[in-house]
Amino acid sequence: MFVSDEDLMMECRRGDMSAFELLVRRYQDALVNYIYHIINDYHRAEDLAQETFLRVFKSASRYEPKASFKSWLYTIATNLSKNEIRNRNRRNTYFIADLVEEGETVYDSGFMADTRYQPDILYEKKERQQLIRKALNQLPENQRLALTLVTYQELSYEEIAEILKCSLGAVKSLIHRARQNMKKLLIKAGIGEGVNAEI
Amino acid sequence: MQKYKISSCENIQAHLSTYFDNEMPLWKRHLIRQHLKRCSACAEQAASIQRTDKLLHFVEPVKASDAFLSHVMRRVSAVKTYQKPQRSGLHRLGIFVEKLLARLRHNIRAYTPIYTLVLTVAVFTMIGVTFYLPPGEKFEPKTQFDAEMSEAHREKLIPFEVIPTQQSKRVLKTR
Repeated sequence: MFVSDEDLMMECRRGDMSAFELLVRRYQDALVNYIYHIINDYHRAEDLAQETFLRVFKSASRYEPKASFKSWLYTIATNLSKNEIRNRNRRNTYFIADLVEEGETVYDSGFMADTRYQPDILYEKKERQQLIRKALNQLPENQRLALTLVTYQELSYEEIAEILKCSLGAVKSLIHRARQNMKKLLIKAGIGEGVNAEI
Repeated sequence: MQKYKISSCENIQAHLSTYFDNEMPLWKRHLIRQHLKRCSACAEQAASIQRTDKLLHFVEPVKASDAFLSHVMRRVSAVKTYQKPQRSGLHRLGIFVEKLLARLRHNIRAYTPIYTLVLTVAVFTMIGVTFYLPPGEKFEPKTQFDAEMSEAHREKLIPFEVIPTQQSKRVLKTR
C-alpha cells in the first residue's frame, strides 16, 4: 500500500522515526542528484541533502499538510544550494568540475573511478556529459534551477512556481529561455545541432 | 479576457516548451500539433528543442552513497536527543518571570552595601542641591510669575501715609 508523503510526514510529527526513514529513502537519490546539478560538487551535494533532511525533521512538529511535501523539500534544497553558490562566489572557491577547460582531463567528482583500463567510448561519454554539465552551469541561476527541476526531477510547472516563488507565467518563460540558451551553449561546446547530436 | 492567438509561428515557438512538458490543455496541444504538420520552420524549432532535451537526458543521474541514510539518521537522532521540549506560551512566560525574580533577589542580596551607599549619596546630593544657595547670589526673577511675585513683595515694603482729603472752602462772593 502506498502511503503519501504528507501522511508519512504527519506520522513523523507524532514521533515515528520509521516514517521519516521511509521519506529519506524515497527522496535521497533525487535530492542528491538535484543539488549536484546545481552546485556541481558531489560530496557537498550529499552534505546539503543531509542538511535538507535534517531541517525537514526539525520542522516536523510545525508541519501542516497545506502544500505538497515534495515542493517543500525542494524549496529547502533550493535555498541551501543558492546559499552554497553565493558563499562559493564570495570565497572565490572553484571545484574540480568547474576547472574543465580546453581538453583538460579532469574527472567528475561523482565518477572518480579509474578509467584508464576502460574503453574509449566510456571516456567520450563522460567527456560529453561533462560538457553538458558545464553548459548547464553557465545558465543564469533561476533558468538553471527551473530547467533542472523540469528535466531531471520531472516536477510540474505549478510545483516549480511554488519552489522558485514566482508565477506560472514566469516559470514558462524561464524554461523556454533556458532551453534556448542551452541550445546555444551546446552548439558552442560542439555538441549541439548537427554536430554529434546523435546519442 | 485576454485574446489568445496561437496560430502565428512566433506564438507557436514560444509555447513549444510547454507543449513538450505536457503543461497545456488538450485543445492547445491539438492546435500546435496541427501547425507543426504544416509549418516546416516551427517543426525544425520543435526538433531542435527535442534534441536539446535529449542531450540533457544524456547526463547520467548521480545517486546518494550507501552511507547516506545512516548518516542522516545519526544526525537526526543527535538532534532528537538535544531537542528542547515544547512548552506552551503561558508556561514560558511563567519561567521568564521566575527567572527575572530570582535574578532580582540575587542582585539585592549580593549588592546591598553598594545599593545603600549609592542611595545615601543620592539623597545627600539632592538635599544639598535643593537647599544650598551660594553666598552673594541674588534672587533674579526668571519667569513672568517670579517678576510679578517680586513686584508684589516690593510694593508691600514701600512706606506710605494716608493724606486726608481737604474739603474745599466755598467762598461766596456777594456784590
